[in-house]
Amino acid sequence: MAEQNRPALAAGIRHFAFHDGGAPVLGGVDVAFAPGTLTAILGTSGSGKSTLGRLLAGWLPPGVSGSLAGYLELAGTRLEFSGSGADPRIDPAQWGRHVGFVPQDPAAVLSTVKATVAEELVFGLENAGADRAAMQAAVEHMSGLLGLRELLERDPSRLSGGQLRRLAIGCAIITRPHVLVMDEPFASLDAAGAAELAALVRNLVQEGTAVVILSQAAEQPLLDADTWIVLADGTVRASGTPAELKAAGKVPDALCRGASQAAPGAGVSRVRVGAVPALELRDVSFGYQPEASRPGSGPFRRRQQSPASRDGRPDVLQNVNLAVHPGQIVALTGPNGAGKSTLLRHLNGLLRPGSGSVLVGGADISGVPVGVTAASVGVLFQHPRDQLFERTVQREVAFGLDRIFPRDEVGERAQAALAAVNLAAAAGEHPAELSASRQRLLALATVLARRPSVLALDEPTVALDGAGLQLLDSAVRSAAEEGAAVVLVTHDLVYARTAAHRILALEGGRLTER
Amino acid sequence: MRVHPLTGLAVAGSTAVITTAAASLPLSLAVVAAALGVSGVTGTLRRLLPAAAAVLVPLAMSLLMVHGLAFPEGSTVLAAWGPARITSEGLAFAAERASLLSAVVLVLLAWSFTVSIPDLVAVLSSRGVRGRLGFVAASTLTLLPAIADRAVRIRQAQESRGLVVRRGLLHKVAAFRLQAVPLVLSLVDDAGTRAAALEARGFSSTGPRTNYRVVPDPAGQRLLRAVLVLAAAAAVAARLWPAGTGG
Amino acid sequence: MSSSSLTLPSPAPAAARRRRLLEILGALAIAGTYVYLVLNQPADITGGPGSVPALIALSGFLLGAVLLIVAVLPTLPASTVVLIPVALVLNIVLGQFVGSTLVPFYLDAIGTVLIAVLAGPAAGAATGALSSIVWSFFNPTVLPFAAGAALIGCLAGLAARYGLFRRFYLAPVAGFVTGIIGGVVSAPVAAFVFGGTSGVATGAIVSAFRSMGDSLLAAITKQALISDPMDKAIVFTAVAVLVYALPRRTRLQFPFVRRHRVLAGRAAEPEASVQETAAPNAPQVP
Repeated sequence: MAEQNRPALAAGIRHFAFHDGGAPVLGGVDVAFAPGTLTAILGTSGSGKSTLGRLLAGWLPPGVSGSLAGYLELAGTRLEFSGSGADPRIDPAQWGRHVGFVPQDPAAVLSTVKATVAEELVFGLENAGADRAAMQAAVEHMSGLLGLRELLERDPSRLSGGQLRRLAIGCAIITRPHVLVMDEPFASLDAAGAAELAALVRNLVQEGTAVVILSQAAEQPLLDADTWIVLADGTVRASGTPAELKAAGKVPDALCRGASQAAPGAGVSRVRVGAVPALELRDVSFGYQPEASRPGSGPFRRRQQSPASRDGRPDVLQNVNLAVHPGQIVALTGPNGAGKSTLLRHLNGLLRPGSGSVLVGGADISGVPVGVTAASVGVLFQHPRDQLFERTVQREVAFGLDRIFPRDEVGERAQAALAAVNLAAAAGEHPAELSASRQRLLALATVLARRPSVLALDEPTVALDGAGLQLLDSAVRSAAEEGAAVVLVTHDLVYARTAAHRILALEGGRLTER
Repeated sequence: MRVHPLTGLAVAGSTAVITTAAASLPLSLAVVAAALGVSGVTGTLRRLLPAAAAVLVPLAMSLLMVHGLAFPEGSTVLAAWGPARITSEGLAFAAERASLLSAVVLVLLAWSFTVSIPDLVAVLSSRGVRGRLGFVAASTLTLLPAIADRAVRIRQAQESRGLVVRRGLLHKVAAFRLQAVPLVLSLVDDAGTRAAALEARGFSSTGPRTNYRVVPDPAGQRLLRAVLVLAAAAAVAARLWPAGTGG
Repeated sequence: MSSSSLTLPSPAPAAARRRRLLEILGALAIAGTYVYLVLNQPADITGGPGSVPALIALSGFLLGAVLLIVAVLPTLPASTVVLIPVALVLNIVLGQFVGSTLVPFYLDAIGTVLIAVLAGPAAGAATGALSSIVWSFFNPTVLPFAAGAALIGCLAGLAARYGLFRRFYLAPVAGFVTGIIGGVVSAPVAAFVFGGTSGVATGAIVSAFRSMGDSLLAAITKQALISDPMDKAIVFTAVAVLVYALPRRTRLQFPFVRRHRVLAGRAAEPEASVQETAAPNAPQVP
């Protein structure tokens, strides 16, 4: 489309601030993306890369979402912004035809009004008034490209995470934009999914699309990018080819996940076997109720979410036995949908076993309210946002501590927990305004502050940047050293090998040693 | 034959209007029977009945209480305890109103339980008011179970942090705040992302738009809809005309 | 490709005038219907089936609600349109949660009032009306109350516009007043369309007033004056708790909140305050 020497998209951002009266989140950013190239924008959580991505994609129209001083240049048109009322107003629909964007959470792009994947895909074409034959051809092409052919008649709200991400990419590129911006597309994909996505990216680049990937880690598929741009504190710190930047030592350690971690088994605490296990599962079996027996909710049964279609399938957990001793770290792995999270929910009684029993410190927890078991079993869920509700980080960590510890210790314990995850300086901030990585660490701190005897973490490494991963690692180790039994549910085998004493795989409802 | 969603709506809506305008006990009962019959044929009766009962039972109880116990205009007193008097006029009024409301509720519910939501959305998806109305309706129906699930997830996450909902109003109010805050916050955030995504995909475009999903609309059904709307209008006019002239 | 294809034109004034006209017509339809019903009510309830006032109440109030939706809905930005379904679900989900704990109220307007506070009276009115229309999909009896729900949304937006959410103690007062007006306007619907109320508890109160010789409309209006103001005071308070718990950036992304300084806290015009840092928080929320 465009000539090779002219960028498909360029931006010069003197500063960009949200309308919240806060400091500018971006400044001193000059970027240009040529057709047929792959660019990686690397930055830790909170570096402003998501804001930059949205700004480039027209998802944060200047003037509407924040005030921009600088310019955006797309398809040969340069728009100048001064942050005043006289600035041009971007038409997001037209912008979206040139620049596709895939946000971090692909579920959020679903229109919520389309009944099938095919209809969801063509939503953009319908709104552009494309004729039916063109739409059918586009669905055919996209579903082949993205491996969605088998799913075209499925309900979009029932797709798995990886399928949703492919659908979100399809929605962004079905109008054939010249630029595609993706925010953390590789996060939470397993190895096979990441390889498929990398192939798709290569394909798009070859067809002449300028692909921009925002990432907090220099992951494998980004190694053959044409350009790396390192972003920190809202400004460009370095840019060049990956080789140049590495040679010049301009890629911070925090962006290289896994590189600085300890060797397997190093420094793990001594397990105190012999005493009563801190946590014990005896012959636990569990199966979800078939959907038909759930209470109906009016006319809308079609979309009802439940552990879907397990009718006739074997139980999710079958005679699971597990003992975790004080100081021991056990990692639980297994493919997506194997029931890892289901098992985790048994540890504090959110789910009750169909048969068998769960013992914490030797006592059966059946019949004990979850909120009471929580005093000895701390669980960190996949979505830290669900667990946070206070107005400041300090209040968040201190919440409920007064029921466990003497009142004069509360402040001290809260401080110590915050310090352990390096959030002491953020004590006055609103939890929801922290970066994703720090939100997860805060949720971890709220669990650690209670000094539970059992610590259960569900996919704790997802969304953590390099620095966050190290903090998690040391927090988990020190909890174990102080005598906590730790259960990690993770698909990240590398992390599991470095952190855990034992690695168990859950497959077909049974636990096996790895 | 596939019934166009708007044809179904026209049938249900005009029946409801005509029944209201006629306000006759036999017609109301006939409509109740017809609605239940249609629902039975389409196999939605088992879901329709509990939904209808949840609406109609308290309504009928309330009517019986209001008019059965206290109908000052009634003269035929069947029984009286102090200020409460059961009159036959009051009971008749309650029965007539309850059957009328049952007819209207059942006929409309029969439509909403049988209509294909995707077809309805496809029919409504155009620019302007109709498209946005369709969006709001369909999005609500999609989000309802998803948000209810998220509320459950949040409650579980907080119980895992040691939240025990105890008896007593203050505790419940506090629990409400703890659970509603993260729910509303995440919903507002997601809505912001969804708005940007929809805008980028041309949600607010003013140009012409097309439909991928084909909903057949035969001429016969279009004619039927026109007739039904006219019939409903005529029924209303026929009821209001004597009222307007005769006082 | 020219620059005009990537940018939006300025809004046309003619469209704004047409919208205003529809809004006024909608408000007139609702007000006119109410006045007519109140003036003509005594003759009809005793004799005959009473379907004339029912038809007038239904058609007048529904016409008003529909006109309001037609006027407002196309003009709302996508960010507000997308929030409306969320508000409708909140009406239902939070209403059920609180409804199951605090029995005497319905609390089915939390989402509507939330939108009104964040996006203004027009959006609030449309949300209220749409809430009734969509909810009627599985409870048709709420459809006739669309006009009343629109009024609640509009009044909540006006309360926010004139700063009643800036002081925490003023929110329940605004809710109380809104409840009085909303209850009085909705009473004719309950009286003429339903001939009573939708719940047993409220029915008992109406029955008590009736046995003292009140007309049906008077009895239902009095019942509404007992339940509605308290109900709306609670709803407004709940919404105030929610909006003050939202982080600053989330709250201030709404132009209505910025322009009219709906919530307490520093004014946040971008030009004025780029240099400042940490945000002081909302006033003490119980």
